[in-house]
Parts: sequence; C-alpha cells; structure tokens
Amino acid sequence: MKHILLTFALLTATAALADNYHYGPFPAHYVEECGSCHVAYPPQLLTSTGWQKVMAQLNKHYGVDASLDAKPRAAIADFLQRLASNRDKHAPTEATARMTNTTWFAHEHWKSSPAKTSFADCATCHTDAGKGDYSERSLKRPAGKRHRDD
Amino acid sequence: MKFFPLLLLALCAGTALASSAQRGEIFYRSQHGGDWSCASCHTDNPMTVGSHAVTKKTIQPIAPAANPERFTRPEKVEKWFKRNCNDVLKRACTPQEKADFLAYLLTFK
Repeated sequence: MKHILLTFALLTATAALADNYHYGPFPAHYVEECGSCHVAYPPQLLTSTGWQKVMAQLNKHYGVDASLDAKPRAAIADFLQRLASNRDKHAPTEATARMTNTTWFAHEHWKSSPAKTSFADCATCHTDAGKGDYSERSLKRPAGKRHRDD
Repeated sequence: MKFFPLLLLALCAGTALASSAQRGEIFYRSQHGGDWSCASCHTDNPMTVGSHAVTKKTIQPIAPAANPERFTRPEKVEKWFKRNCNDVLKRACTPQEKADFLAYLLTFK
C-alpha cells in the first residue's frame, strides 16, 4: 500500500510540475532500468505509440541490447504509458521512435549535437536532467551557442 | 558482501576450468570481431570512470576495488552480462569467459 501511495504521489507531483520543464523525479525502478546508459528520459516527451515502439525493440535499442526480463519490462511499460504525451509534437516520426527525431525535439535543439557530445546525454547541457529538471535555470549551453541554429 | 565477487567467481568457475586473470584481460581488451570491446565503455583501466560509447554518459568504474557496488547483485550482474555480451560478442558469454573476466577485475586492489 505504501508503495502504491508513493507512486501516486510521484505521478501527481510529476504532472503538476511538467509545465515548468520539471518532469521528475522518477521512481527508482525506472531510473535503474532506463537511466544507466543515458539519463532516465521524461516519459512525458514521447507519445504512447512512441513508447510502445521503443519497448517492442529493447533487444535492438539504437545499436545496443537493452533487453529486460518480463516483470521489470511490464512495470516500465506501464509507467511510460501512464505518463506518455498525447500531443502531436511528441509523436514518433520513424519506426525506431527516437525522441530526438520528434518535431518537438528538432524545434528546441540544434541540427546536430556539438562536437564530442551526444543528444542522448541530456545532462551535458541540462545539468539537472538526472532529476527530470529541464528548466532554464539549470541549462548550461556550450560557449557561443544560442537556443537554436536559426 | 565484500566477498561476493569472489563467491560469484567460485560459482562461475565451479564446473569449468580454473579461471585465468590473464585470459580475462585479453577478453576485456579484445573487440571479438566487432566494433567494441569491454574497454570501449569501461576504459583501458577498469579502475577509472568510463563513458558510454554511444551516449557519452559517465560510467562508474567496473573494478570492485574502485566501486564496491559492482557484482553485489546477481540479477543485475546477469542482466548486464546478457546485454553487454550481445553488444560486444554478438552472443552470450560462456561461464568460462565470465569467470576469467571476474578474475581479471579482481586483480585490482
């Protein structure tokens, strides 16, 4: 029961703060399973269809094996579906459903990531991305870089 | 808990040949015919902080001497052997390979 209440509290808090580019904090099981190779991405930034595509090909996850056992896999899928976006700009644009290929991501970022960085590692610029905080306050752009290419 | 890696090593090696740290080091550094080795992400020195070959995210040291959390949870160990062996070798690792790998990592004090 305690676990359910905690999850509910987290979901409520997450929903309330999302408008301010605060998407987290995320439950420990999500960070453990989806935050090792990259920060745990905000579930709110991809649609339900997008997450389904991602979860359906975890054994070939953008060039690496990210497979999960059935039980944790089901828990993660459930969590993602509950917080998934329903906005068109967060919809997948290709079969692998890369978040970086959504119209929202392209609009908010440069055409390519700066040298020796990867768009996959949000924390390079969004210094508190690990906590789900993508606010301006914690944003540190590389020297000389503006918001977008234009 | 401190001795868990040793216990794991003993279990891995139980049915196979004795483990070899030397073979483990060769295994660690080899690309096994593909693009990556263990060292691609965990660096040439298992005692140091690495970074993911694709995402660039920081990876804490793989050697238990530098990172006591390593190899303390069997389910986590198996999850990562499964994933990373597929990434590097395009197949599952054998018990012998796992034993050698651990024997090599345990040479660091």
